Amino acid sequence: MKISKEARRFARELFTLSLTNGRLDAGKSKSLTDQLVAEKPRSYAQILREYARLARLELERRHATIDSATSLDGAETEKLRQDIASRFGADVTIEFRTRPELLGGLRIQVGSDVWDGTVSNRLHLLSQQL
Amino acid sequence: MSSILEDLESKIQGIQSASTTKTNVGLVREIGDGVARIEGLSGAMLNEMLEFPGGLYGIALNLEETEVGAIILGDYTKVREGDEVKTTGRLLEVPVGKGLLGRVVDALGQPIDGKGPIQSDTNYPVEKIAPGIIRRKSVSQPVQTGIMAIDAMIPVGRGQRELIIGDRATGKTTIAVDTMINQANANKAAEAAGTPGYRPLYSIYVAVGQKNANIARVVKTLEEHDALKYTIIVSASASDSATNQYIAPFAGASMGEWFMDNGMDALIVYDDLSKHAVAYRQVSLLLKRPSGREAYPGDVFYLHSRLLERSARVGEQYGNGSVTALPIIETQAGDVSAYIPTNVISITDGQIYLETDLFYQGIRPAVSVGLSVSRVGSAAQIKAMKQVAGKIKGDLAQFRELAAFAQFGSDLDARTKATLDRGQRIVELFKQPQYSPMAVELQAAVLFAMQQGYVDAIPVDRVKEFQTRLQEFLTTRKAELLAKILAKGAFDKELEAETKTALDEFKNLFK
Repeated sequence: MKISKEARRFARELFTLSLTNGRLDAGKSKSLTDQLVAEKPRSYAQILREYARLARLELERRHATIDSATSLDGAETEKLRQDIASRFGADVTIEFRTRPELLGGLRIQVGSDVWDGTVSNRLHLLSQQL
Repeated sequence: MSSILEDLESKIQGIQSASTTKTNVGLVREIGDGVARIEGLSGAMLNEMLEFPGGLYGIALNLEETEVGAIILGDYTKVREGDEVKTTGRLLEVPVGKGLLGRVVDALGQPIDGKGPIQSDTNYPVEKIAPGIIRRKSVSQPVQTGIMAIDAMIPVGRGQRELIIGDRATGKTTIAVDTMINQANANKAAEAAGTPGYRPLYSIYVAVGQKNANIARVVKTLEEHDALKYTIIVSASASDSATNQYIAPFAGASMGEWFMDNGMDALIVYDDLSKHAVAYRQVSLLLKRPSGREAYPGDVFYLHSRLLERSARVGEQYGNGSVTALPIIETQAGDVSAYIPTNVISITDGQIYLETDLFYQGIRPAVSVGLSVSRVGSAAQIKAMKQVAGKIKGDLAQFRELAAFAQFGSDLDARTKATLDRGQRIVELFKQPQYSPMAVELQAAVLFAMQQGYVDAIPVDRVKEFQTRLQEFLTTRKAELLAKILAKGAFDKELEAETKTALDEFKNLFK
């Protein structure tokens, strides 16, 4: 669905309003979107869609994904949790995933930044150099 | 103290051996027509290379709030929505160096002539800032195009940007190819003679949006004249993606800059920049950049100005090299006041304007004297040419003005008649078949004969025959005289007398 310029602008304003100290506020977000759906301004479906996209991007920015070849034990995950909290703040959500194709090592993604120390990445870099 | 250093060294070693790399990633949201929109990539930089899965690369051209717009180099149909894209922290680079001479490469410097890999260990970024005013020097050495009409009236210097402009099929590419062949001839002659202080001129031919058949023909022509070994061909044909067509001239400029940085001279032909502008318009519109006049984006002037600014002559302490540019623009029905032609005319240091009418009158090369200029080249012309060709442009311009009166025949005063007679003979002299450039010393000798009135007695329809036989006579029997003209570079009393003797001798032979 094409989202018009006006809808985009409106969604952006709505999104700015739902921030508290630069972070997305769940309560504000809910009340604002509830009101939007109730009032049904022109092209509110488009606005909601764009708002959802902005919210998704914001949440992805505050979300960490940790990929490893084998599942990590409790001590390791706890250490990683602490590291990430101290580096990026306590509000970062963390997700652990097991991906055997990585062969070994860790791949940590926070927002769009990636720290890749996996064997598969090293092999990939090596193959590029050759 | 040493223990502290050792400790620090070991710590640094420890950091380096950790093989974790930090990159920035994004996901492809939209892909089509060679343009991708990528979500994420918050750390991407402008013009940075992006890595797509499958070894494909792209260039980040639009950095927006939540998205990055990138153009894809290569086959974009392999990219899928949801693919992960990585930043590389590198700019697009092409191989440069002498290993490229004699090769045909694509816009990324990869060989497409089936002659094996390129021997090069140096890469240059495709986009480079042009040399500044401190590094530059004014144009003072000539580029001999080998085309008498141009070398006599619109001389080009090393480091100059001279536009070749004209309608389709007026001989624009031919002038460029002739020039490249002439450089090869001069290089070969100087190599054979071991001329001290000779600066070879290497050519780069960038084909943008040309038919593959035309590019193949240029390659074949250069091969036939043994000029390919001094030439690099960068090909982004009409069947290549708009991205490659957009990149190709910049890649060619980088290859030329290597010669300049290493104290050598290079000549680049951009064939042609109208199609380059069209390719850039396509890319810009697909990236949803706002369009302006004729739907070209706002920075289409900057596109060509930053490309042509990279042609320069640099001073001794900066390598003393040069890059000369011969951009080509195709006009529609002779309209030089269209958008792209006026842009490029204002950027360049002069233009060679080719006219359809002249072409069909049989005046080839169809150089229009009135509209063609060279703003800096006269400083680079050798003295001998200046001595013999100084007044020719004026004479010819007067002739063109009076040509309309020629129809009235006998009712003309003596002076007008003399101007017309002279003009007709100059026009005949300047006719030159394609792919047969003339050495500068021969041009000077022929123009000397013109200046001294040796041609005035010849009927107009026999001028060409007179010229051909004179050239034959000079090259076969008076080679020493030609060598002397080239070595001295100017006509002094002694040389004038000697040339006159030779011309008198020929006059008696010519019946």
